[in-house]
Amino acid sequence: MKKSQQEAYKQDYAAAKKDGKPFFPYAIYKDSLIALLAIGIVITLAIVARVEIGEPVNPASSDFIPRPEWYFFFLFELLRIFKNQNVLTPVIMGTFIIPNILILLMIIWPFIDRGPERRIWKRPISMAVGTLVIAFMGYMTYLGATAPEGIGSGETIELEPQDEISTRGTELFIANGCGSCHMIKGVGAAGPGPNLTNEGGKNRGVQWQIDHLKNPQSKIPGSSMPAFASLPQQDLEVLGEYLNNLGTKYK
Amino acid sequence: MTTKDIGPKGPVVKTGEAVVDYVDDRSGVKTGARWFLFRNIPKGTSWFQTLGFTAMALFGLQAITGIVLAMYYKPDTNTAFRSIEYITDEVTWGWLVRGMHKWGASAMIVVVFLHMGRVFIWGAYKYPRELTWVTGAVLLFMTMFMGLTGYLLVWDQKAYWATVVAVNITASAPILGPYVGDILRAGPEFGPNTLSRFYSIHMLVIPGGIATFIGLHLYFITRLGISEPPWSKRRLRIERDEEDARRRAARERQSLAGRTVVPAGEPAVPARAEVAE
Repeated sequence: MKKSQQEAYKQDYAAAKKDGKPFFPYAIYKDSLIALLAIGIVITLAIVARVEIGEPVNPASSDFIPRPEWYFFFLFELLRIFKNQNVLTPVIMGTFIIPNILILLMIIWPFIDRGPERRIWKRPISMAVGTLVIAFMGYMTYLGATAPEGIGSGETIELEPQDEISTRGTELFIANGCGSCHMIKGVGAAGPGPNLTNEGGKNRGVQWQIDHLKNPQSKIPGSSMPAFASLPQQDLEVLGEYLNNLGTKYK
Repeated sequence: MTTKDIGPKGPVVKTGEAVVDYVDDRSGVKTGARWFLFRNIPKGTSWFQTLGFTAMALFGLQAITGIVLAMYYKPDTNTAFRSIEYITDEVTWGWLVRGMHKWGASAMIVVVFLHMGRVFIWGAYKYPRELTWVTGAVLLFMTMFMGLTGYLLVWDQKAYWATVVAVNITASAPILGPYVGDILRAGPEFGPNTLSRFYSIHMLVIPGGIATFIGLHLYFITRLGISEPPWSKRRLRIERDEEDARRRAARERQSLAGRTVVPAGEPAVPARAEVAE
């Protein structure tokens, strides 16, 4: 905005203020009405939709579903899209680059859009950017809200051939909640973690898999996977063997 | 009958006035109240402009319910979950206060986003209100951070592991990430100190920050005034008048163009001088 336009706005606003009304009580009365309505809705929801009590934390048991509050679903969904499947979808896009671009864009927006125009239909670019961001976040929140939480009860993974490792490995995979982030042969959640159906094809080795389970960040820097160091050594060995043969020996 | 003689002022009224004058003389509270409460706002402000106040009211509600919850909550890994159960099942109306705090958080996020949407659509962040927007953006981030830190305090499986993932994500950021991760976790691993650290951040650090920034935000709003709807009656009238003036000017130009021919690029004055000759 040019200096003259700034002056013009100030004069225009002063004129608007001159034939306006006092803040108290005119604005306060409207404000209080809506605020009371909002508080009423909160109380009603608290009564109607009781907040339940979950399972107490047990860092040793990893039978869990890591689900954030609904207003973080859009970030959670980003992790599902960007999970290092190829060069175009590095994890850092979902964990760092896109969220920080959104944050930066939001903070500096008034310094980008400096034109004097305030009417909606005269600001097509602003409205396009705004609509795009809102639609994107809304859609991601919707995806997050409707995404399957993990492996349903009774569901299991059919692997051939069935031997001790494939049966026990599947059991451990389901029991430890791996399915709330990973998918094997269409069973489990499609993210945030990568699909493990062909994990064995990567030939990483049993020891690599065990080390990764114990400390994911030591093998894949930037990974957001929790550590499973508290699993018994024999379970880790089974899972290592199992993962290292998924898609090759076990199909 | 314009005035009514109600007799000499009583001692109570006199003392009251004296107290107000005493305080005002030292604090300027009368000027302050006039500046804040009795300033004019443009006519035709919309119901959508109540969302900011509503967000603040919900923050107040969160503060009150939070204080009540803090009277019973124990930020210790051994007792945290038990104290949540106690609040929900045994404390009188504890379930209601906890429910209000939980739903109030969601409501606050919704209202804050709606408020931001209103400001964006109206272009109300433009000159001179850029810094009002920036303080508002900081308030939005702090509100979301409140949600993140508060989520862990119930100390149940879902919240715990979601927070482990969230902190792992933070720690994966380049350069500062690992340090921020360590600060949030109170060390390299999740442990008892993580819970009390989140409690402290949730109870002391961010509420202080939010209160400070609400103060700044309100200062800007009071100083600069609440924005006028871009389609207020007054604005529409001005636009109509401008449009009329533009049309009239265009008509005049056209009728003039019919009579005298002014070659493009040549000043009009020499042309008139030629006529004079």
